[in-house]
Amino acid sequence: MADQMYFEDVKEGQELAPIKISPDKSQLVKFAAGSGDFNPLHFDEKFPMLKAMGLSDNIVHGRFKYAQVGRLVFAFAGYKGRVKKFGVNYRGMDMPNKEITVGGVVTAKRQEGGENLVDLDVWAQDVDGKKTTPGTATVALPSKG
Amino acid sequence: MADEFEITDEMRAQFGVDGTPWTYEVTTTSVRMYARGIGSDDPIHYDVDFAKSQGFRSIVAPLGYIGTPVFLPGKNDPTFGFPRREGGPRLNIPFKGLLDGGTETEYLDVICAGDVLEETSHLADLKLRDGPRGKMLFVTNEAVYTDKATGKVVAKQKLTSIHM
Repeated sequence: MADQMYFEDVKEGQELAPIKISPDKSQLVKFAAGSGDFNPLHFDEKFPMLKAMGLSDNIVHGRFKYAQVGRLVFAFAGYKGRVKKFGVNYRGMDMPNKEITVGGVVTAKRQEGGENLVDLDVWAQDVDGKKTTPGTATVALPSKG
Repeated sequence: MADEFEITDEMRAQFGVDGTPWTYEVTTTSVRMYARGIGSDDPIHYDVDFAKSQGFRSIVAPLGYIGTPVFLPGKNDPTFGFPRREGGPRLNIPFKGLLDGGTETEYLDVICAGDVLEETSHLADLKLRDGPRGKMLFVTNEAVYTDKATGKVVAKQKLTSIHM
């Protein structure tokens, strides 16, 4: 975990430290076990629905990518911050063993209801730079004061 | 049959009807398994003493963990794990393919191991769109998670699945 981020330190346009991952099948099987989602689409190369859906290989779980965006947002909030809301849409597929970059940028900071809130645009993007999993998040950060 | 599928008033009448509540036990083992599954090595998800030293009740469930089902043979879907609860919507969807469309979670508290949550879920929206391989049905469900010990709502989650 990086050093704690404070509300006063955040600027609009500030980029979050990215996470780069290249999940292999083993990682996707671990995610299946941890999440309870055993859809063969994610680990069985002979699963008949792959061909029916026009796919030649397994695909990364959408919820796995959601969790990676979650790691990014959680790290930005730090242990003293609180993630209030975050969501993504799954607009494109990512394949095993291909690099996925998870990133984010501060879009706004505001004080509301006694909280120091920071709004973020977040995403997971593929090696071609396509944002396959765009979303938004809101984090409450501690104040130095 | 899938090409002829249409959203009916009977389906829309099921919006907002909660199914039987489902209990989610947030355990140290399930939190650690999920953290391992997402490739995190943050000790806040593994080490109880460390998590307590940082002010948490126990190890913290990673963002995205919520909704991870408690599996009961015969009561959960054997592939996806979601509970096959009584009541709630019955759509008889004819499509065979299924993908996640989106996930959005509002957190009203931090979820930690030891929490026991009661979830209620209902159908919130249906949309039918034309895709490259025919019709695609977008199904959105909304779930509310309540801490059984305190009665406090700790999270709300919106899930969209795409049937094709």
